Amino acid sequence: MRILVIEPDKILAEIYQRALQSDGHAVVICASAQSAIFAADESSPDMVITELQLIGHSGMEFLYEFRSYKDWQNIPVLIHTSVPAGEFTDNWQLLRDELGIQGYLYKPQTSLASLLSSVTELAPTHV
Amino acid sequence: MAYSATAPLLSQQLLLNIAEQLKLPLLQIARLSEISQMTGQPLSADVQVTAQSALSLIDNYVLGVQMAAEKHTMELESVSVSSVLYDASHELSGIAKNYGVALELNIGGRYGPVMINRLGLQSALVSLGTALIEALPALETPQLKLQLATHRCRYGIVAGLYADSEQLSSQVLEQGRKLYGHTRQPLTTLTHTAGAGVFVADAILRAMQLRLQVSRHHRLYGLGTVLQPNHQMQLF
Repeated sequence: MRILVIEPDKILAEIYQRALQSDGHAVVICASAQSAIFAADESSPDMVITELQLIGHSGMEFLYEFRSYKDWQNIPVLIHTSVPAGEFTDNWQLLRDELGIQGYLYKPQTSLASLLSSVTELAPTHV
Repeated sequence: MAYSATAPLLSQQLLLNIAEQLKLPLLQIARLSEISQMTGQPLSADVQVTAQSALSLIDNYVLGVQMAAEKHTMELESVSVSSVLYDASHELSGIAKNYGVALELNIGGRYGPVMINRLGLQSALVSLGTALIEALPALETPQLKLQLATHRCRYGIVAGLYADSEQLSSQVLEQGRKLYGHTRQPLTTLTHTAGAGVFVADAILRAMQLRLQVSRHHRLYGLGTVLQPNHQMQLF
């Protein structure tokens, strides 16, 4: 599966890339929302994993932009962020229904094993 | 310890900011450890640098709070700015390597000594440098370079850190000063982290009656502080 990972921290990005690659996935890493849009266009990902706390445009802004393209409206998106779940309580329905977010993982408490497991669960069946 | 009226507030806001910041190195250490087990490869030496950098941030935070509380007893000494920048670059070399950032030292000019608390200035530069090193790769600047430099300006001798990023602006810094301690990411357009190193540097410099400010060095943008030359020492 081709996975687009939006992770601003270089060290963490490299770790997630290694973990996902070791599980057989092809991984494209981006540090910002803007470069992620270009990367999505070039790599046609089967899944997107994104942090919300980015420099400049946030992960939410990326998602609104990403979902505005017809080709990308059904690609599974997993939020993997340092923003705690408590801050989503009011917006979770919006995230799920409007932006088609399939999963949320709180980064500080998500092991690599849990991340890989969530990726497997959310993988589209046709890939 | 006799704290000034602003010290408790300063320390609480800084502490919240640092608590947020420290999640990053701890998370890196946890995941580096896990990937090592997963792949069967030995634990990367990056872990030691990451832990050291986190410990340094805590030390510098404590120094800033102590300086704010005991500023009257702070020892001043005649110091070469170039030597402080040299030592700061040495201290930053590990974290810079981890993040793939090239550190450059531009201390060519002869500017004479300044009267300063050496530990305070070096700690401020290291804190600031760490924050910028973590941010630079995510800023996607054309070149991953951070320059520690000194130059003379109308008001004295500037010591600062410079990069090819317009995000190092006074607007970003002022907004961050208003937001830190209240939001998770006060320097939204500069760094994805809490930017604690910037605010620790700010606190240390304020305690030394100095100011963290925006500066330009050749075509680079940066943050630094203006130091007063020690004219008496220049006679010798």
